[in-house]
Amino acid sequence: MSGEVALAARALRVERRARDASFTLVVEELSLRAGEALAVLGPNGAGKSTLLRALAGLDVPAAGRVDCRATGPVTMVFQRPAAFAGSALHNVGAALLGRGLSGKELRERSRQALDRFGVAHLAERRAVTLSGGEMRRLALARAFVLAPSVLLLDEPFDDLDAAGQATLSLDLRRVIEETAVAVAVVTHDLRRAMLLADRVAVLLEGRLAQLGPCEEVLERPRDPAVARVVGMTNLVRGRVLPPRSADLALVEVSGAQELPCRTRLPVGSEVWVGIRPEHLKIDVGRGEVDPVGKAVVEHVVSDGVAASVSLEWGGVQLQTHLLAGRGLARSLARGEAVSLSVSPDHVHVMPADS
Amino acid sequence: MEVVAITARTLAVCGAALLVALVLGLPLGIFLGRRRFGGSRAMVALVNSGMGAPPVVVGLGVALLLWRSGPLGALGLMYSPKAMVLAQIVIALPLVVGITLAAAGALDDDWELQVQTLGIPRRWRWWLLVREIRLGLLAAVIAALGGILSEVGAVMMVGGNLEGETRVLTTSILMYTQMGDFEAAMGLAVVLLGLTLLLAGLLTALQQGGRT
Repeated sequence: MSGEVALAARALRVERRARDASFTLVVEELSLRAGEALAVLGPNGAGKSTLLRALAGLDVPAAGRVDCRATGPVTMVFQRPAAFAGSALHNVGAALLGRGLSGKELRERSRQALDRFGVAHLAERRAVTLSGGEMRRLALARAFVLAPSVLLLDEPFDDLDAAGQATLSLDLRRVIEETAVAVAVVTHDLRRAMLLADRVAVLLEGRLAQLGPCEEVLERPRDPAVARVVGMTNLVRGRVLPPRSADLALVEVSGAQELPCRTRLPVGSEVWVGIRPEHLKIDVGRGEVDPVGKAVVEHVVSDGVAASVSLEWGGVQLQTHLLAGRGLARSLARGEAVSLSVSPDHVHVMPADS
Repeated sequence: MEVVAITARTLAVCGAALLVALVLGLPLGIFLGRRRFGGSRAMVALVNSGMGAPPVVVGLGVALLLWRSGPLGALGLMYSPKAMVLAQIVIALPLVVGITLAAAGALDDDWELQVQTLGIPRRWRWWLLVREIRLGLLAAVIAALGGILSEVGAVMMVGGNLEGETRVLTTSILMYTQMGDFEAAMGLAVVLLGLTLLLAGLLTALQQGGRT
């Protein structure tokens, strides 16, 4: 569970100037809480790493401030952690230099930290010979040996295969719970962010576009730009129709198709309609939800785990996901007509001027 | 016995010059390799051209400084071992600074950020940095030592090859060769070669033994 605020940024403005371009990051308010992981999502160039560097104190803000309210240190693990010359054990011990520990204490603590991330058997190996995944675990051990209050992670799952990502996220989750460290993790990959995060911050063009619990941001993005970042790929323009029942609103998309939803906006207003692919169902007649109409299968792409189905629905392109190799994913053919259904709870409507 | 005295003098002069060049050159090289400031490029260019400066020209410059009517003439250093040390410092310093700055500059910026984010105290950061680039630092020592041990032009000009005072291995080899005493020249050449190989070998063993 999340606790006290460990790190807080207020009215933060960070300017980065390069030879050919300058970039400004503005964050009104952002806090990291003990025992909680915040995922910072955004496309390349949105300012994710700039934010992380500012929180780490590596970049001095042009305005505003970052307050550390925790007693322990704030540390950061980079996308490509630097290996120091020497053994893995020396690499971890280096973080404790100058803290008045005896050589024995230093080695003991370093070993414990390596053990915590499952790389104690690599203690005597030269750090430069470690693989990407091993180096990342070493870097985490090196950060955690400091008993940090705040840990900032830049793309921690980069270069790891799916199994490596899963085990590392489990280890990190366990350590976050054990140590109550406040974590911010920067990534451009939504699925990797979800491995770890309790809350999500979406950055767009140097601005904090939305901040909230994972489910809230994923299901109810503030605007289409945030929706794209959080994987709400089915986005179409629409217009609010007069409701036909007391508990459901109605939107019209593509001039003819109608979709029931829960969001109430003035009749006639222009809107964006967003549906997450996993919520769009190809109806097989179980009658759980009333179908919203017929769509035509355009193509099915499978990576062996998930199959992505592209559909054409009254002139609108939509996507849905199925489990690969089973049932519909195997039998669906290009050009086939299917019934589409989506629960009104999962039809997210955003004002078009947002 | 003369051979022993000449060899000892050679080691004393080169050792003193090397020591001063390292004390001044290593920190300066690390600083120039890791920091950018107004004029740092010009300094790097100066160091790089200094690395290729002909020793005889360096000798001429030092001689002009120390000549009786020169700016430092009053010190009376001309034709003394101190003058030879000074000339060799001028030759060794750019080599030490140049190779050190290349080694320090080759270190990734992420390395420094990493050290910074771990909150390692400044004194220990220097220690880690030296540890990180020690292969390059030893290369600087080897290059500087080789440069001054085999150098003849500058020490001849400012030392004068005075018997029992400023005569070193290289200047004696030159002198005996000019006199046609090839046997003595060859004998001293073997000593110089042996010394060079021994010292370079020791430093290389130290360098390669610490490879990580």
